[in-house]
Amino acid sequence: MAEPSVISEYVDRLARALDFDPSLARRLRREVEDHLREAVAANPAGDRLEAERRAVASFGDPRAIAAQFAVVSLAKRARRVGIAAILVIAVVFLAMKARLAWYVVMECATGQMGALGDIVVSIDRFAFWLAVLVGIAGWVYIDSLRTPAVFTPEYRAQLGRFVLLCLAATGALIASVVSDGVLTSLRLSGPRWSVDVVIPIISMAIEVVSAVGLVVSVRGMTRQTASTARAAFRWHS
Amino acid sequence: MLKGHLDMIVLAALSAGPAHGYAVIEEIKRRSGGAFDLPEGTVYPVLHRLEQAGLLAGRWVTAASGRRRRVYAITRRGRRELGERRAVWEQFSEAIGSLFKGSRPWQNPA
Repeated sequence: MAEPSVISEYVDRLARALDFDPSLARRLRREVEDHLREAVAANPAGDRLEAERRAVASFGDPRAIAAQFAVVSLAKRARRVGIAAILVIAVVFLAMKARLAWYVVMECATGQMGALGDIVVSIDRFAFWLAVLVGIAGWVYIDSLRTPAVFTPEYRAQLGRFVLLCLAATGALIASVVSDGVLTSLRLSGPRWSVDVVIPIISMAIEVVSAVGLVVSVRGMTRQTASTARAAFRWHS
Repeated sequence: MLKGHLDMIVLAALSAGPAHGYAVIEEIKRRSGGAFDLPEGTVYPVLHRLEQAGLLAGRWVTAASGRRRRVYAITRRGRRELGERRAVWEQFSEAIGSLFKGSRPWQNPA
């Protein structure tokens, strides 16, 4: 039977407290275990279990450490959402350009889009460039924020502003994707179904999936912000 | 008060050269003459936060014991940040010192 280890139990508790970020939990488990074993080796007075207990006591409460890491993890996620927003906008742009290039190459009959088409094209352009501008503003804003040591009301307000920028960029992007969908339907409404329509449909699918991915990403960050705020409130009250 | 300056303390401890978390804490204790005996776990969120901000760079190495450990080194940006914080701190410390030196009773309390 394996000997009980205070250190192993401690790193297990710490990893459980960090369950909001599995990759961080894995990395920290290894890092903290090395720290504690080093502390035991440097101060081996008494028996092994006693030395391990001293090392663990000096390290501190795992929940307090996890509460501080929750802020670090949230900041990392927010930065990723900022980058994701820019990437998604770029993917939508490329899909749109690929579809237009395909129409040219295949000399597709464009169908009669008429006045409705003109209006939708205007909406599409405005919504897309709005998404680009607001997305870049959000990315620059989140990148400029300094991560605080603890979750403060001020940091929560800053994240709230970032979420608003993300929602505005996502909303504009969705409007652009919907406009693209309408334009694609108008273009393809005339000709018969053939392989010519495969690329437009695939490019539209890429746009829709990218926009949905961005919505999921922003929603995940909003949820993590709320749970970090709750944990910080529980820990500090 | 110490919590507000942890970033500067950790950057200062790593300015001497790369080290793993345990060595950073020992260096802080040693350089402060034991005055900064922090709960050791509080230093790790700081190390991770500074790494995320690009002020530290971390890498995994294999220690003599065979265990994998993460070693942190201060980056050029980290040194610049430390220099700026140090200048602010020295200015603040000098101002407080001047205030204490100038303590004397009011000539005319009314």
